[in-house]
Amino acid sequence: MEETTGTDLFTVPIGPQHPALKEPSHFRITVDGEIVTDATVRLGYAHRGIEKAAEARNWVRNLYLFERVCGICSHIHATAYALGVERLAGVEAPPRAQAIRVLVAELERIHSHLLWLGVAAHEAGFDTLFMYSWRDREAIMDVLEGLTGNRVNYSANVLGGVKCDVDDAQRDAILKALDMLEGRSHHYLDVVTTDALFLQRTRGIGTMTRNQAEVMGAVGPTARASGVPRDVRLDAPYAAYARYPVMRVVETAGDLEARFVVRIRELFESYRLIRYLLDNLPAGEIRGRMPRRVPQGETISRVEAPRGELFYFLKSNGTDTPERVKVRTPTIYNLTSVVKLVVGHQLADVPMILAGIDPCFSCNDRTVRLEETNGRTHHWTWDQLRRYSLEVEHGRSL
Amino acid sequence: MDAASSFAAILFFPSGLFLLAASLAYEWVDRKLLAQFQNRIGPRWFQPLADVVKLLAKEEIIPDGVNRWLFVGLPIVGLAAPLTAALYIPLAGLAPVFSFPGDLIVAIYLLSVLTMSIGLAGSNALGRFSLVGATRTLTQLFSYEAPFLLALLGPALIAGSWQISTIIEVSAQHWFILTQPLGFVVALIGLMGKLELPPFDAPEAETEVVAGALTEYSGRGLALFRLGKGVELVLGLTLVAAFYLGGVGGPLAFFVKTLALLLIVAGLQAVLARLRIDQTVGLWWRFGVMLVLVQWALTWLLQGGWR
Repeated sequence: MEETTGTDLFTVPIGPQHPALKEPSHFRITVDGEIVTDATVRLGYAHRGIEKAAEARNWVRNLYLFERVCGICSHIHATAYALGVERLAGVEAPPRAQAIRVLVAELERIHSHLLWLGVAAHEAGFDTLFMYSWRDREAIMDVLEGLTGNRVNYSANVLGGVKCDVDDAQRDAILKALDMLEGRSHHYLDVVTTDALFLQRTRGIGTMTRNQAEVMGAVGPTARASGVPRDVRLDAPYAAYARYPVMRVVETAGDLEARFVVRIRELFESYRLIRYLLDNLPAGEIRGRMPRRVPQGETISRVEAPRGELFYFLKSNGTDTPERVKVRTPTIYNLTSVVKLVVGHQLADVPMILAGIDPCFSCNDRTVRLEETNGRTHHWTWDQLRRYSLEVEHGRSL
Repeated sequence: MDAASSFAAILFFPSGLFLLAASLAYEWVDRKLLAQFQNRIGPRWFQPLADVVKLLAKEEIIPDGVNRWLFVGLPIVGLAAPLTAALYIPLAGLAPVFSFPGDLIVAIYLLSVLTMSIGLAGSNALGRFSLVGATRTLTQLFSYEAPFLLALLGPALIAGSWQISTIIEVSAQHWFILTQPLGFVVALIGLMGKLELPPFDAPEAETEVVAGALTEYSGRGLALFRLGKGVELVLGLTLVAAFYLGGVGGPLAFFVKTLALLLIVAGLQAVLARLRIDQTVGLWWRFGVMLVLVQWALTWLLQGGWR
């Protein structure tokens, strides 16, 4: 079939602009009829040079820069950064601050999972679930706004503590929102596990075995849906997670349905944790003293973002600006599995499998890949990028 | 005088302009109901009209490499065919403008021309989304068309005629939904397949193939195709109501019965997730056809056909 029309015709491009993708990314899907025979991914459309920009800002300003790596899990980025910087500086945030970090992180996880539920339902053409879950997500957005003053980039963290405290009125508002959401989540769990038409699109689709998940280095709910008990909150407790332990949520089926179930069950775990945390909030300061200069040294910081393990590497040269900050977001770990899992499935399943890992492309773009018209590709090094940016700034073309 | 009244009937009422207006109104009702079911506000009443006016005013981009005649002509055919079919269908509860024995088959074929135009339009364009969408549109056509036709022939079997007006005379006395419930279900769901409404919207699933066969269409062509679909919605609802819900005896009965059907259709759209194209085909040939055949067998037995 392909020899008459050329291989190009049966390659379906998904992205960089495509209704299934809310962010730019490029998937090249080779199909035979409706069956996918090959898939490749190309990243780098949303490279923003955040790591480089960090080297020109001081430690405090960088907190707000890294909060903007991701629009959905903004707090967890700031937390990872703040924990790393505090470790370098030898400062420990007070217990109440650590607890509030956990509180906001779990609220953010609820908001992120509900958002994902809607997006994934939309990919399956189930717009009613999409509209309902996003409506319910508003309750969490309102709570976060009441708590921190912001709906998206909460800026709850400062170096050495948090910005905002929880008073009784906010506590009641959170508990009220959780009660409503808990009822709704039971309903959603019921829908995704019993709706016959929806199950046709999720059960047995994109199945990743535990072995595959470990080999491909999957993280977060994607890995936990395949039976890999990997959760940084438990494996290497940070902030106040040692004090408020979560329960591991693991499913073994490894298909899309399991990924739905894992995320919804994590919602219940977050509700429980937040209630427990609000009842056992330690008293005291919410902010410690933080030096302006951070002593020389390097450290890593690992946290569990809603999408999986988030990794920060920080290097200080003893001044008030970092020498190097490296961010690795969970999407990049999980993307490998998408390219692998779609092969053999129908074209219609590709957006579902892609949505199943809850991708966040602009978060993970740390490199620029150039593709020439003759098909050769090459990656730009740090130096090349820097030279290019200087040339553009000085009005010269490459 | 006779020619003049026929002309007026074709151009304004019950066909022609009335049909276009009704198609926009029904599209709005459908969208509004769906929005309400999904906890949204939904469009204002004139939104479908505004969409059409906007599209008609916009530039129509004809992509490179397409057959221009087909690209421009197919939307016209796609709208003209259902408008022609309307001449044989008792719109607004009034007698059809034209009627002859066997016009049911003609009407159903005219209603399929729109889908075939969309499929051809997609195949004509060179975009990959258009091609995949066109393949899916035509695949879907082959899956729902036979059950839909068979379901509409159920009442025809009782009436002993393939003339729409004769069938309606019989169905006005019998609510066929009571005696042929399986046929009714297949006819209504077949209509949803015909209109590519959820859960049968795989041919235009935006998360997979953007806008399917119509991806390359903009401006006038898109407006005509959309109008064609709206017209087909009204005609399909009319046919199902006329055949299964005790006929459409007058304008009031027409509106009440078709809108009641639209309510069901919108409800189904809200609660069902999209089917993959292979699942659509499987559903129709495994269950749709079987249901209708069972219905036919039952009808034949109860009618005493075995004697």
